[in-house]
This record gives sequence, structure tokens and C-alpha cells, in this order.
Amino acid sequence: MNRKWTMAVWVVLVALAVVGYGCGKKAPETVEAPMAPTPPSTGPADDIADSPAPVVDDDRKLEGMDLEMEEFNRFARERGLIGDVYFDFDKYDLKPEARDRLAKNAAFLRDYDTVTVTIEGHCDERGTNEYNIALGDRRANAAADYIASLGISGSRMRTVSYGEENPVCRESNESCWQQNRRARFVVTSK
Amino acid sequence: MTHQFRSAAVVALAITLALSGSYAAAAPAPEPRPQDEPDIFLVLDPNQRAQFRLAYPASTLAPGLGAEVRDAAREFEETLRTDLEGSGIFLMQGPQQLEVLTLTGDQATDAELYMSLGNELLLETDVSTEGNRLVVEGRVTQLEGRRFVLGKRYRGSLAVARRMAHTFADEIIRHFTARPGLSLTSIAFSSDRDGANRQEIYVMDYDGWNQRPLTAHQTLSFSPDWSPSNDYLAYVSYLDGDPGIYSVEIKSGNKKPIITSSTLDISPSFSPDGRSIAISRSVGRGNSEIFVIDRDGGNLKQLTRSSGIDTNPAWSPDGKEIAFTSSRGGSPQIYVMSVDGSNLRRVTFEGDYNDGAAWDPKGTRLVHATRRGNRFDLAITDLVTLESKTLKRSDGSHESPSFSPDGRKIVYASTRGGSTQIYVLDLAGGAETQLTRTGNNRSPSWSGFVQ
Repeated sequence: MNRKWTMAVWVVLVALAVVGYGCGKKAPETVEAPMAPTPPSTGPADDIADSPAPVVDDDRKLEGMDLEMEEFNRFARERGLIGDVYFDFDKYDLKPEARDRLAKNAAFLRDYDTVTVTIEGHCDERGTNEYNIALGDRRANAAADYIASLGISGSRMRTVSYGEENPVCRESNESCWQQNRRARFVVTSK
Repeated sequence: MTHQFRSAAVVALAITLALSGSYAAAAPAPEPRPQDEPDIFLVLDPNQRAQFRLAYPASTLAPGLGAEVRDAAREFEETLRTDLEGSGIFLMQGPQQLEVLTLTGDQATDAELYMSLGNELLLETDVSTEGNRLVVEGRVTQLEGRRFVLGKRYRGSLAVARRMAHTFADEIIRHFTARPGLSLTSIAFSSDRDGANRQEIYVMDYDGWNQRPLTAHQTLSFSPDWSPSNDYLAYVSYLDGDPGIYSVEIKSGNKKPIITSSTLDISPSFSPDGRSIAISRSVGRGNSEIFVIDRDGGNLKQLTRSSGIDTNPAWSPDGKEIAFTSSRGGSPQIYVMSVDGSNLRRVTFEGDYNDGAAWDPKGTRLVHATRRGNRFDLAITDLVTLESKTLKRSDGSHESPSFSPDGRKIVYASTRGGSTQIYVLDLAGGAETQLTRTGNNRSPSWSGFVQ
């Protein structure tokens, strides 16, 4: 709903700008919002479609909004819109590549501004079970704090730690452990 | 949710009925003999291995017992034998070792024969039935002078043969050590045997038998801790999406939330008076601190204030101190503080990762996990000398240790066989017993003595 309004506003603004060229300063008073979406037969409307205006761009970014939640998560991951961040053993500080990834996640949340996410903290099996629950909480919160510092409201992020209890990979080697030491992003509503 | 609670309660209730309903310890021995003061009295020290030499020949079965009764009699005898041998108090000779003797039926002569093999005590069990109920009479005699030591008579359904044996073993051990044995104690743990990414709280007899679920939450539940009365467990569950602390009454299976919030509440540890619980709780931004709450969840009191991770509290047996894990010094190490948060001191200094402290029943030592490369060993740290001694140096990772209430054994979780299973280590002899085999099983907690 919000989305449609934003689009409508863009259409109006661009239409106003184009129309404004021809009609001078009187135009804004004569064109009202409800009329804006219906200038199909006029010349200026074609210009809108051809222009690199945000209308088209915005439309592309919002792809996937009609997907089921699980599908939407898959879609967002495959497109690289959201992704997980990884940590060193027994650490919860964000590495440079983690910050890069979180910046992209923040951009996604900025574009899809109705989406809320759960950030899950996970650990590898080499810590103790109990300590890892606390460590996973740190990791999830480190990721959430960084995204909040980029201007995303904390109310759109929930954190939960699973410690080492829900591993994505169950082998005992470094490549597997690395995959498990993560803050995982899951879209929970949109 | 309500439905899950209800079905778990029904299961637990059914189990309780099966155990207690048809079983009753009957009147004392038929011919009451004067009960002498014990001639042999042992004050136990977990490190000391004082033993009595005990002969236990095969049970005497009343004539004409059916196959089912004979099976129950065998179960009773095997369980009693295992309990007594496992107690570490007795060096036992069974039917195999006693086979060499040609018994005469004359008590004096037979006593001499038992003694000729080095035995000091004789245990005899007689099995009969009353209606369809099993009746077992057991006697312990001091062979020298043929002095009666103790006798008991038990009656119950065939299904409770093991429990009868545990009860009798407990009586015998109580007689020789002046305190209960482990035979009637239980071990709580968490298990994923009901499905992946799901752990339920289970409880089993101390010997691994009688494993049964107490929860059916269909989410992650773990870290059970016994109330000092053994009536309740406090445990962690993700029932509302975040880890919170709940309790379950063993008998009824009734569950209720103790403390749940939108942050993390984990690692419950009862105070020895049962009135309070120490927990680890997040104060925001993933910073967990140690708190103490009343057992109903009220009266939240924060004990630690550090920027590091503070978790895994364990209340000392005298009720005055709490051990916990903190990363405040850079790596996870174990600290001890008074219950008001004062007198804080670090107690582990060997290795870069120590966690999961449990007190020995005397309160002088902690057993904990200590990191060795990519796995954990178990270590015992003496709280006076602060020396740490590694207990386990074998394949796999060992963690979540918990002392038996007599301080002689440690139950823990190990990955040595590939999956995570629960084992018991006998501190005196070093013998190990695997208790679980289905799924992955972890976070074991040994109950207190059953008084």
C-alpha cells in the first residue's frame, strides 16, 4: 500500500515537472493528485516512461513482495539483497567483510521499508553449549547494532541466539565451523 | 501449546502411577531380629576406596514360579548386583566366583566356606509371590560370628523389580555408609531423539534405565537443573521464541514459566535451600549478566556488571557462593563470588577457555570443561590451591559435567562416539558407563540424594 503511494507520488511529481515546463507556474494548482495517474494519451506521459526517473528503478527494487515468506527469503538471498555475516572463533566483533555485507542488508531494509527481520546468532560446536548461547546473542546484537547505526530502526529487527543448537553444517572441520559462526538474517514480515 | 502440556502431563502421570501405584515396601523381615549397631562403619571420602568383600550367590526361588516371575527375579538380582558393585563400597563375588564352593546347607559350615574365599559379608535374596505380586526378602549377614546385619522384605508388581532392587541397594549402602546411595537418584538431560532441531527434557534412572520425556514442547529445551527436593526441574526453553526459564514438576509433568522476556534468560541453578535460582540474563545488546531470582521468577537481582559475557552460574552446596563463567578477562574463565556479588575472584588459570562449572558436594572443588584445541576435556579445579587436574584425555569433546550427590562420579556429555551421548565416570576407578544411545543427548544434571 505504502509502495503504491510512493509510486503515485513519483508519477505526480514527474508529471508535474513535465507539465510544468509547458504550463508555467499555474500548473501545480490545477493538477490534483487523483488526476495524475490518467494522462495516457498525452505526449508528456511517454517521456516519463523513457526517463531514468526513480519510478522504474523503484519498481524493480520491490520485486518479490508478492512471494510467500519462504520464497521471498530465498529470492532476497539469491539476489544478494540480504546475506549472513560470519565471525571468528569465540569472537563477536564485525570483520570488514561483515560490515560490507551488513551495509547491503541495511540498504535492503531501507528499500523494502516495511520488512522486518529476525537476526539469529549461531556458533560452531567448539564452544560449550551454554556459553555459545550467550555468544550467539552477542553476535546477533553486534549485527543489529551496526545496521541500526546505518539508520534502520531497531524495532524492525529482532535478535535470537541459537548457540550451537541449530547448525547449518554438521561436520567437524573448519569450513563447516566457519559456516556455523554466523548472524543469519531471516525476513519475518513484509 | 496447551495440548502439548497436557499430553506431556499424561505421560508423566502414567509413569508415576506405574512406578508408585502398585509398589509398596512391605513390613520388615518376618522374624524380627534385634538390629545390632553396625560393626563396620565407613565415613566416605570420594578419593578413598574402602571396600567390603561381599558374597552374593544366586537368589533362592520358591518352587513353581512362572517364567515371568523368574524373569523379574533375574532383573531384581542383576540390578541389585550392579547397584552394589557400582557403589564402589563392595568387592563382590557372584554365582560364578562362588561356583567352586560345595555348599552344605549348614549355615556355620557354609559361612566358613564363603570366608575361605575372602568374603566378610553374605547377601542372600529369596524370591516368591503373593497372588501375582513379586515378593523379595533380602538379608545381609556378617560371616564372622554369623551376625545378622540387616533384612528387608519387598512386595510389588513384576514391573517394579528394578525399583525394588534400587530400594534395597539404597538400604544396604545407607547401612554401611550412614547416607543414601545413588541407586534411587535420577539424571535429567536434553535429547533431540524426537526430531532434528528440537530438544526435549528427559529424565532417567541413574543407571540409564527408564528414560522418559518430561516435555513435548517441539522446540529447543535444555539445561535442566534439579530443585534440592528433587521434585522440580528448572530448564531453558524457546517456547515463546526466545530462550526463557521454565519449571516442570516431575510427578505431575505440570509446567510453568519462571522468567521469560524478549531477551535471553538461560542457565538456571537452584540455591540449596530451593528458594532462589541463579540465572544468566541479557541486559541488552547481547550483554549477559548473572542474576538471582526467587523460584517463582520474582525479585530479580543483578549480581554482575561487566561488559563481557557472564553466564552459566552454579550455586555452591553451602549456599554462600556462585561460580560462573565470564569473558571479562578476554577469554571465558570461571569465577566465584559471594551470593551478593562481592568477593569476586577468578579461579581458573590454565587454558584459554574454561566453562560449565559444577560444584562437588563438599564445595571444595569445581569440575568443568577446559578447551584443548578443537575439543574439550573435563578438569577438576581445587578452590584452595587453584590447581586444575585434567580428568579426560580421550577422543571427542567432553562437556557439561555434573557431580553425583556422593561426589564419587561425574556425569557428562561426550562426542567420542560421533554423536553426543551421556556417560558416567567413576572418579575412584576411572570406569566409564555410557547411559544414552538414541539421538543426541546432552546437558545432564544429577539429582540430589533421595532421602
